[in-house]
Amino acid sequence: MATRVAFRCMLASFPSALTPRRLPLRVCAHSRALGTSSRAAAALKFTDKHEWVRVEDGVGTVGISNFAQEALGDVVYCSLPEVGTKLNQMDEFGALESVKAASELYSPLTGEVTEVNQDLAENPGLVNKSCYKDGWLIKMTIEKSSELDALMDEAAYERYVKSIED
Amino acid sequence: ASVPYSHTERETFLAEHCRPGVVLKSASCDIFQNLAFEDWIHAHVDVEKRSILFMCRNRPAVVIGRHQNPWQECNVPLARERGIPVARRRSGGGTVFHDLGNVNLTFFSSRKRYDRQRNLRIVTRALRQLSPNLDVHATERFDILLNKQFKISGTAAKLGRTGAYHHCTLLCSADRALLSATLRSACAAGIRSNATPSVAAPVRNLRDEDPTLNCDAVMEAVASQYYADFGLSAPAVVVDPTDELSHPGIRRITQELQAWDWVFGKTPAFSLDTSFEVQCEACDTKVNLTVGVKSGAIETCSIESPQDWLPPAMCRELSGLMVGSRFRPSDMAVIFTAFLRANPQSHELENKMHILCEKVVALM
Repeated sequence: MATRVAFRCMLASFPSALTPRRLPLRVCAHSRALGTSSRAAAALKFTDKHEWVRVEDGVGTVGISNFAQEALGDVVYCSLPEVGTKLNQMDEFGALESVKAASELYSPLTGEVTEVNQDLAENPGLVNKSCYKDGWLIKMTIEKSSELDALMDEAAYERYVKSIED
Repeated sequence: ASVPYSHTERETFLAEHCRPGVVLKSASCDIFQNLAFEDWIHAHVDVEKRSILFMCRNRPAVVIGRHQNPWQECNVPLARERGIPVARRRSGGGTVFHDLGNVNLTFFSSRKRYDRQRNLRIVTRALRQLSPNLDVHATERFDILLNKQFKISGTAAKLGRTGAYHHCTLLCSADRALLSATLRSACAAGIRSNATPSVAAPVRNLRDEDPTLNCDAVMEAVASQYYADFGLSAPAVVVDPTDELSHPGIRRITQELQAWDWVFGKTPAFSLDTSFEVQCEACDTKVNLTVGVKSGAIETCSIESPQDWLPPAMCRELSGLMVGSRFRPSDMAVIFTAFLRANPQSHELENKMHILCEKVVALM
């Protein structure tokens, strides 16, 4: 663990444009927007279980936050649902395994799984390396837009993470 | 996926057994019942302000991690032959062997208070209480090593929405010969998959180091240390994981854990490339088998046999029949029987088909 932290800190000293998502959380939490605002993509919304969702063209892409991936440690296996699985908000939709622990994943929204990230089968570490981009987990339809509105925006999620860290 | 239960019944169970924290001892030695009990507690008991330690022992069983491949981790045909069940946990981690000489400890807590090193410290302290000269330490990988080299305990965990559990094994007087035999896969070399592999380690029984150590003494010492560490005082409670009235829904959880579709069907996609020797005109020859398995079902299959042993057309037809069926002995038997019924063969070919069926089944 100590080496990991040291490694991350080392990376953090590089220009942030090169490694925006490798920043340790504590650094991220003080810079605005968890290193995601530089991209012109739609805004991220967060659950209190540290999943994020980004909605583009009516489809939500789901992943886990930087805080969550830091807390998990090296992800060695991603168990994801089949395409076509119908999920209610907060349903268990899979699990991530890291350091001998299986952590359940919870759906941020109600909808149907339209795609799963196939790259994670060969390369589960993408969840650590690029949790907001290449390490996305599933894509899903949005059935209740009110659920989306009720999720935290980045600023609220930052405050939430700070509150549980303190 | 929550199991319906009566609120009153749950509250009664909690009020009786686990106000600030408690040690529970299982009345069962059945691996599926005890795993189901863990999942029932995980699903139904509020561990926000409560600490629970669950202790049990099981009759011989192989227990694989949630994302593992049983055919890669253990000798499934041997286990079947010996009547040793293979169980898939809902937690992560690697494969372990259980028998009555092994103690299982499950530490339930909130996600916030989940602390595997603290739990393992309770175990190592308890062991040193019993046997002061014992050299036992927890590693960064959450194993407990004896004399810095022999693994006596392995860990796995599951983290849910608010609660978490960490369970570990503790080898006191397990049958090491049976352990080695069942954990030696017959076909691991031919398996390609992304399943999480176990890390093999030399193991040792605590009894080999100190003959006075036995399961009962160890369980008692761990319970005392747990109470001391968490500032609790209450007698350990014996629980019956088959008691549906006290634990509504537990029977269904047990059945789900026993189902082939969970134990074997949940195996991450894999391919198996293997060959076996068969007799041909008094000399040995090789038949190659390649299968791709997803969700327990055969997706692709190819059987290659020397032409003079089995005609290629027959190999192709058989492979075709195997696709879509489960990677399971009973399914294979059905396919071979149906094939022979639909395509009556010479006595010699029929014999060869039986041999082939046996060889295929022996992999499963």
